[in-house]
Amino acid sequence: MTLHQSLADAIVDGRAYADGDRIDAVFRQVRAEAPLDVAEPEGYDPFWVVSRHADIKEIERQPDLFHNADRAVVVQTRANAAKIRQMTGGEANMVRSVVSVDGKEHKDLRGVLFPHLTPRSVRPMEEQVRKIACEFVNQMLELGGECDFAKQVAFLYPLRVLMAFMGVPLEDEPMMLKLTQEIFSGNDPELNRSGKQQTPEEVLQATLASIAELENYFLGVTARLRETPDDGLNSLIANARIDGEYLTRRQLLGYYITAATAGHDTTSNTTAGIMWALAERPQLFEQVRQDRSLIPALVDEGVRWVTPVKHFMRTATADCELAGQKIAKGDWLMLCYSSANRDELVFDDPFEFKIDRKDNAQLGFGYGVHVCLGQHLARLEMRVLMEELFDRVASVELSGAPARTISNFVCGPKRVPIRFKPC
Amino acid sequence: MSGLSRKWRCRSCGYIYDEALGLPEEGIAPGTPFETIPEDVFFCPVCGTEKQDFELVDY
Ligand code: HEM
Repeated sequence: MTLHQSLADAIVDGRAYADGDRIDAVFRQVRAEAPLDVAEPEGYDPFWVVSRHADIKEIERQPDLFHNADRAVVVQTRANAAKIRQMTGGEANMVRSVVSVDGKEHKDLRGVLFPHLTPRSVRPMEEQVRKIACEFVNQMLELGGECDFAKQVAFLYPLRVLMAFMGVPLEDEPMMLKLTQEIFSGNDPELNRSGKQQTPEEVLQATLASIAELENYFLGVTARLRETPDDGLNSLIANARIDGEYLTRRQLLGYYITAATAGHDTTSNTTAGIMWALAERPQLFEQVRQDRSLIPALVDEGVRWVTPVKHFMRTATADCELAGQKIAKGDWLMLCYSSANRDELVFDDPFEFKIDRKDNAQLGFGYGVHVCLGQHLARLEMRVLMEELFDRVASVELSGAPARTISNFVCGPKRVPIRFKPC
Repeated sequence: MSGLSRKWRCRSCGYIYDEALGLPEEGIAPGTPFETIPEDVFFCPVCGTEKQDFELVDY
């Protein structure tokens, strides 16, 4: 059996994710009729669509059986996958980083930043994060009661926090934001490099050009930080040694690029989505305003609601069975986090935004050995911003139509126009 | 000890703390019951999650 063509095509179509209801309806049908089945969208090699929460966890629990490196870790057309292999000398992924390696290399690379991103390590950063959050809330209040919360707050605040911790100077932030958006939003003419609708080949070309710009930027950074190390994350990457050796050029650039892109766009999308949810739910806004201890639950439900990382791919390293299906060695599997986070078997009223979920089991940060390295920092950033906002803002409502980015990978709201009253 | 040995799962990433094995790399000896590990000593070696976010695994 394979998935109905219209479902398969929608699962790779960024426009379906831009229309939240459409992708929800697609995955609702997939979960009900064929929760683990093969999709063959036009122009793509076939892959398994893993739509259930339990099946994603089962796969992520077995990193030796389901690899990240063997085939592309983000879904690619057949032609683009071949092009990437050709360009990298046989590797399946453009960038070599923690997300695209397995086994010892993964453990070693993850170990470079892990000790600096645990809850205990990020807790002392709270004061600095709060200062940044305050600046952005002040700026928002100066806008006089109306703003596009996505563009004017949500996309800038996590960027500022991450760049501060990485050790990237303020003046380079606009370039970082632009390149990140180009990389993650190649299918959205409002955010991509050409400003036009692009074919998959053009998207790949543009992504490679943006990656090359980031590589050029970071090449200089390594030399400087080896000479004069500082306490930023970039310095840890530049000076890390595995078995006595510095990281290879590809590992270094891959690490900087992954941290510099995945580390803010995800948090920005979630932050924008939380505000969108609040602006539509005045009672919820008032409830949290009265009881700030609800903010962590608001943030976790925000991660479930937005699920800014829509998927990652895995490749089976051996024949195996999963949820009654026979998976063959070499098969490609799409872990659909946005579907898992609406799974009726796990969440009551999955299509409702509810902050009273007991033990919210959302999978927005993934699971297993690749689980998000920045989750504790992301949670801290979002909690602190919400605390500052609830201190200063008495009410919010939508002042226009919000919109989501066209993308099937990392995405969420790109416009959240709001009207707000200061306290 | 082994008859009483229990397993605890990290809610965030699924890492299992097996009391029989302990976590020698972090100075937690094999056979150490989870409840006796001080809150400020233990965190998940895979994702950093703290002790209160571990759950007992029922078999
Ligand atoms: C709301 C914010 C965020 C979300 C929803 C998110 C989501 C994710 C997801 C789904 C994965 C893949 C997990 C898997 O394969 O199971 C991941 C991995 C990763 N994330 Fe995040 N992320 C966020 C914020 C951050 C931040 C702030 C940073 C950096 C400080 C970061 C750095 C990383 C890295 C380096 C990985 C790769 C880990 C590995 O493969 O071992 N993320 N993230």
